Amino acid sequence: MAGLTEDPELGINDIKEETERNNKRIDKKVGVVAEESVQGEREMAPPAGGLIHRSGSRPQLDLSKAAIQGNFEERNPTILLPNQSDDISHLALDIGGSLIKLVYFSRHEDQSIRKKTVKERLGISNGNRRSYPILGGRLHFVKFETSKINDCLDFIYSKQLHRGGISKHPFNLDWVQRMDARWHSELPANENTVIKATGGGAYKFADLFKERLGVSLDKEDEMNCLVAGANFLLKAIRHEAFTHMEGHKEFVQIDHNELFPYLLVNVGSGVSMIKVDGDGKFQRVSGTNVGGGTYWGLGRLLTKCKSFDDLLELSQRGNNRTIDMLVGDIYGGMDYSKIGLSASTIASSFGKAISDNKELEDYRPEDISLSLLRMISYNIGQISYLNALLFGIKRIFFGGFFIRGHAYTMDTISFAVHFWSKGEAQAMFLRHEGFLGALGAFMSYEKHGLDDLMAHQLVERFPMGAPYTGGKIHGPPLGDLNEKISWMEKFLQKGTEITAPVPMAPPGTTGLGGFEVPSSKGGTLRSDASALNVGVLHLVPSLEVFPLLADPKTYEPNTIDLSDHSEFEYWFTVLSEHLQDLVDKAVASEGGTDDAKRRGDAFARAFSAHLARLLEEPAAYGKLGLANLLELREECLREFQFVDAYRSIKQRENEASLAVLPDLLIELDSMSEETRLLTLIEGVLAANIFDWGARACVDLYHKGTIIEIYRMSRNKMQRPWRVDDFDVFKERMLGSGDKKPPPHRRALLFVDNAGADVVLGMLPLARELLRRGTEVVLVANSLPALNDVTAMELPEIVAEAAKHCDILRRAAEAGGLLVDAMINTLDGYKENSSSVPLMVVENGCGSPCIDLRQVSSELAAAAKDADLIILEGMGRALHTNFNGRFKCDALKLAMVKNQRLAEKLINGNIYDCVCRYEPLR
Amino acid sequence: MDLGVGEVGTPGNSKPHQPSGQISHLALDIGGSLIKLVYFSTYDDVDDETGRSATESLSVYNGNKKYPALKGRLHFAKFETTKINDCLEFIQKNQLHLGGCQHLQSSPIDKTVIKATGGGAYKYADLFEEKLGICLDKEDEMDCLVAGANFLLKGIHQEAFTYMDGQKEFVQIDHNDLYPYLLVNIGSGVSMLKVDGDGKFERVSGTNVGGGTFWGLGRLLTNSKSFDELLELSHKGNNRVIDMLVGDIYGGMDYSKIGLSSTTIASSFGKAISDSKELADYRPEDIARSLLRMISNNIGQISYLNALRFGLKRIFFGGFFIRGHAYTMDTIAVAVHFWSKGEAKAMFLRHEGFLGASGAFRSYGKRGLDDLMLQLIQQFPFTASPAGDI
Repeated sequence: MAGLTEDPELGINDIKEETERNNKRIDKKVGVVAEESVQGEREMAPPAGGLIHRSGSRPQLDLSKAAIQGNFEERNPTILLPNQSDDISHLALDIGGSLIKLVYFSRHEDQSIRKKTVKERLGISNGNRRSYPILGGRLHFVKFETSKINDCLDFIYSKQLHRGGISKHPFNLDWVQRMDARWHSELPANENTVIKATGGGAYKFADLFKERLGVSLDKEDEMNCLVAGANFLLKAIRHEAFTHMEGHKEFVQIDHNELFPYLLVNVGSGVSMIKVDGDGKFQRVSGTNVGGGTYWGLGRLLTKCKSFDDLLELSQRGNNRTIDMLVGDIYGGMDYSKIGLSASTIASSFGKAISDNKELEDYRPEDISLSLLRMISYNIGQISYLNALLFGIKRIFFGGFFIRGHAYTMDTISFAVHFWSKGEAQAMFLRHEGFLGALGAFMSYEKHGLDDLMAHQLVERFPMGAPYTGGKIHGPPLGDLNEKISWMEKFLQKGTEITAPVPMAPPGTTGLGGFEVPSSKGGTLRSDASALNVGVLHLVPSLEVFPLLADPKTYEPNTIDLSDHSEFEYWFTVLSEHLQDLVDKAVASEGGTDDAKRRGDAFARAFSAHLARLLEEPAAYGKLGLANLLELREECLREFQFVDAYRSIKQRENEASLAVLPDLLIELDSMSEETRLLTLIEGVLAANIFDWGARACVDLYHKGTIIEIYRMSRNKMQRPWRVDDFDVFKERMLGSGDKKPPPHRRALLFVDNAGADVVLGMLPLARELLRRGTEVVLVANSLPALNDVTAMELPEIVAEAAKHCDILRRAAEAGGLLVDAMINTLDGYKENSSSVPLMVVENGCGSPCIDLRQVSSELAAAAKDADLIILEGMGRALHTNFNGRFKCDALKLAMVKNQRLAEKLINGNIYDCVCRYEPLR
Repeated sequence: MDLGVGEVGTPGNSKPHQPSGQISHLALDIGGSLIKLVYFSTYDDVDDETGRSATESLSVYNGNKKYPALKGRLHFAKFETTKINDCLEFIQKNQLHLGGCQHLQSSPIDKTVIKATGGGAYKYADLFEEKLGICLDKEDEMDCLVAGANFLLKGIHQEAFTYMDGQKEFVQIDHNDLYPYLLVNIGSGVSMLKVDGDGKFERVSGTNVGGGTFWGLGRLLTNSKSFDELLELSHKGNNRVIDMLVGDIYGGMDYSKIGLSSTTIASSFGKAISDSKELADYRPEDIARSLLRMISNNIGQISYLNALRFGLKRIFFGGFFIRGHAYTMDTIAVAVHFWSKGEAKAMFLRHEGFLGASGAFRSYGKRGLDDLMLQLIQQFPFTASPAGDI
C-alpha cells in the first residue's frame, strides 16, 4: 500500500495526500522490520485493506443516500490494535541441540484509518468478531544453528525483536515460582523483559541471553509447546499436513472437527509419541530411544560425517543392499510370500556386515548412511503405528529435526506405517515441522489473538530470502532491499546452483514402497531438495470466506492443478518466456532508471529461482495451483518494489477506450433489448481479448487500434460459442413471451483487465443491469496484477464514463463514487435521481486469479445481498472458479486466449468463448 | 571365539563330536548367520565324554521297538553360515546325512532327503546336493519355529524362564494354559508370531533390527571377530559414555512429568553427536553395550506392543541373538517390564537357538517321534549342559 501511494502518477490528488500521511508514519518504522523490510512493509498484504478505493476517501459523502439496508449498529469494527505507538513484535524461541528456531511477529501498519463509507453503504457487519483485537501482521520463521548462537543474538538485536517482548513485573508470583532460584537471584531489579522460550537450550543459554540482550527467557514446557504449535498449524493453515509416499507429496486438508485425537511423533534426538486429544490436552504415551540422535551418532562414528545434513546427503547416493540383509538374500532371491515379505524387504539391518570379510573402511559411507536411515525411520514408523493402533488413532503426524523435510526419511516412515497398518493408517508430515516448539512458545503469550485465527485469515508469502532462510540457512539475514538485490546478484555469480532450472527427479523417486534404493542418485537432488519452504505468514483478520460459495469446504479455486508435472512445465515455459517482457515493462514503469534496472534484474533472478525451485520440487511452497504461481509472480514484483508494472499501459488503454465508449453506448441504445443483451455479452467476450497477460493477444495489439480490434473481435463472435448458455441467461434476464422476470437485486461483477475489457465490455453490461434496476458492485483487485484494473483505479474510470452517460452517473452518485467529478455537470435529472447504486469494492487480492476463500470483508459484505455474480476473464472465470459453485446465479464469461487451456478445459481452440450460466436451482 | 561345534557348550574343548552310532535323523536350520543342526544318534553308540562337551545333546530312551530311533541322543550343533563348508565337512565326516529318513534304505541313485528350514535351505540346496548328494526338503520356517517352540515348551521340563536383574527363574507352564502366546524369534531379523495352538499361528509383526544388526553394526564399530566376542565386550561396557540419557538433556534431572528417570536412555548413541570424539576414541566395550541395549530394548518394546495389541500375556523370546546372554535377556526383560508397567513378563527358552531346527526335526513326523520324545524326554533329561552359558 505504502509503495503504491508513492506513485506520483496514480492520479487523484486527494488519495495521494490521504495515503501519504499514512506513509510517513510507516516510514518511521522501516528499518526495524523483517528480512523483506522495506519492500515488506510496502508490499502490504492485500487483504488488510491497505487499499482504499476512491470512494472510500470521501468522508463528507452524504450517507443518507444509502439505499442499502444493513445493521448500522455493528459497523466499524476495530480489527487492529488502535494504539499505533504500541509496536509489538513478539518473539519466541525454541533452542534445540542443533538448531535455534525463532518465531516472531511484526505488525501490519495501521489500517484503522479505514473509511467506512462503502461498508456502511453495503451494510457491512462484523458483529461476529471477537471483542479483543486480533493483530494483523506477519509471523516470521527463522532458523539458526545452535553453534552459531551469536548470529542469532545479532539478528534479534538488529531487529530489536527482544524489545517487543512482553514485560512482566519481576515479582509476579507465578513467574517467580517458575524461575530457577539461582537464575532469579541474578535478575537485575530493573530488568523485566521476558521472552518465551522452549527447548533444552532455554536453560543452557539463559545467561547468555541475559548478558547480551538483557532479556530473561521464560521457559515453557517443551511438550506443551509442541502440541500447541501443532494444533495451531493444523487448524489455521490450510495445507499444513501432507502425506509422502514413494516420493509423492500430497497435501491433506484436515477438518478441524475431525482433527482429534491424533498421534504426534516428535523425532528429535530421541522420539516422543504424544497422543493429542485437544488444545492443551495430551499425553506422552510412548517413545523410543532410537531416534535422530542415534542416526547422527552412529552415522558419525561409521562415516566420519561432519554434520547431520552431510550424513543425510550421503544417504541420497547410497545403496543399502550392500549392507542390509534382505529377505531375498536369505531366500536366494525369492520372496517369502507366505508371510507377505518381498525379496527386497530388509530382513536384518546391517545384517550383511556380519558375513562379509569386509571391514568398516570397505563399505561406502553412502551405503552405511542409507542403511542406518532406513533402519531408524522404519523402526520409528512401526512403533508409532503400533501406538496409534493401541489408542485407536487414525492420524499420525511426524515432526522434529530428524525429518527435516528429507524425502527418503519421510518415505521410509510412511512405508513403515503403511506396511504395518496394511494401508489403514497414514503417516503425515507438517510443512512447519521444525517450528512446532517455537510456535507453541509463541502461542503461550497471552492475548496474541492467534488462537482464533482461521485458515482464511492467513496468507503465506515467500519473499526472497525466506525460501532459503526458512529451508536452510544461507548467510546472514537480509537487512534491506539493497542487500537482497546484492544477494540475488551474488547468486548469479555463484553459478547455476539456484537460478538454473534443475532437472526434475523422475516420479517415484524412492521407488517401490520405500524399501528400494532411491533412484534419484547423483547430483540432481540436493539433500534439502524436498525441504519445504516456510514462508512468512501474513495474518489478515479482515479476510473472509466468500459467503456465496455453495460449499466452502470442497471449494478448490484452481482449475489447473500444477501437481501434474507436464502442466507445470508448460506454465514454467510460458512464464519464463514472458519474463523478459515483464521485466522491461516493470523497469519502464519505474522510469527506466539504473536503480529500476537493477531491481528488475534482481526480480528476474528471484522469480527464476522460484520457478527453478518449483520445477525441482513442485510442492516446495505447499499445494500449488496456477493461481498461486501467478500470484507468486506478482508478489515477487512487489518484493522488488515494482508497484504497478503496467501502470502506463493501463492508463493509455483506459483513455483510448473511454474515448470510444460514447459511440458504443449510442450504438447499444439503438438496439432492441434482446439484441442489446446479446451484443453486450458479445462485447464482454470480445473486449476480453485485450489482455496483456495472454501472450497470444499481445501480438494482436500491433495490428490495429483498440476499437478496430474490439469491433473485429465482436463481429467474429459466432454463436454458438464453445460453451454457450446464453439462451438460458437471456431467459432469466428477459423472460419469454409475456413473462417478465424480476430483475436481480444485486450483481457482483468481477472485472478483469483495464482498458477495453472493463470500459467497453463490463461497464456497458453493468449499465444494462443498472438500467434494469439491479444494483451493481464492481469487484476489482486490491493490488495491481498484470494489467488488471484495480479497485483504486475504477472510480476514476467510472467517473469519466459517467460524463457521457446519465445511467452511469446517477448510479455512481448513488454509490458514492462521484462527488467533485460531477460538480460541473448539473442537469435536470439530478434532483429526482433515484437510481440503484453502482459501487466498487476491492476483492482483497493482488493476483490475476481469485481464491474466494480469502476475500476482503467489503466483498464479503457486498455479497450478502447479491443474487447474481458475473466472473469475467481467464484468471477469474477459467483458471480459477471454473468449477466453483455458488449460492446464487452465476455467469462466467471469458475468451480463451491460450490454446492449451482451450483444449484441456473446453475441448476447443484459442479464441473460443465461454459463456457459462449456472442459475441457482 | 569360533562358533563351531564343540565351542557351544564348554569353551576350550574343541574336539568335535564324532558319533559312532547310528544316526537316524538330521535336520537343519540354515539361517542368515548361523546353521543349526539337530540330529539324533542312538544312545548306546555315544561316546559320553566327547558328546557331552562337544555338542549339546538330549538323551532319549524309548522302549517301543517299533522305531529305529528308540534310544539315544538328540544333538544340537551350530555353524556360522559363512563357514558352511565346515558344516558340510562335519556332516560328511560324521555321515550325518546318511541318517536322513526318507530314502534310508533306497538305492544309491535315489537322493537322501534331509529336512531343512531357514532361508539357506533354498539358497544352499544346490551346494548340499553337490557336496553331499542330499536333497534338502524345505520345511516352512515359521512352521518349524512354532513346532519347535511348542514341542520344547510342552515337552521339556523347565524350558522357559524369566530373567530379571541377573536372576533366572524357571517357569513351569501348564500345557493347557500355554496358548495364545507371542513367540519372538530373534535371528538376523526378528519375527513375532502369535501362536494359538499346534500348527496354529500367525506372523503378526517383526523388525529388521535384530541379531544381524547387532552383529553387523558391532563388527563395523568394534572390529570384533565374532558375535560372542561382541557379546563378551558388552559385558564390560558402560553405555552412558555414548548414549544420551534423559539426565543429560535435563541437566541431571528427571523429566518426571512424563515419567522418565534421568537414567533412561533418551537417544541411543546420542552422545556420539556432540562429542568431537572419533570412533577410535570410544571403547569397543561401551559401543557394544550401547548397541546391545538399543537393540534389546527395541525388540522388547515392539514385542510388548504386539502382545498388548493381541491381548497376549506371555512373550517368549528365542533365536540366536539371545544366546543365553544374561545382559541381553536382562535388557529385553527390562524393556517389556518398562513398557508394560510390570504387566507383562519376558520369557526365554533354554533351547532358544534351536527352535527352527527342532521343528524341522520334528517334521519327520511319520516316525511318531513327537509322542515318543514327549514321553521320554521327561524321563531322561539333559546329559549335557545346554547351549550358551545358561
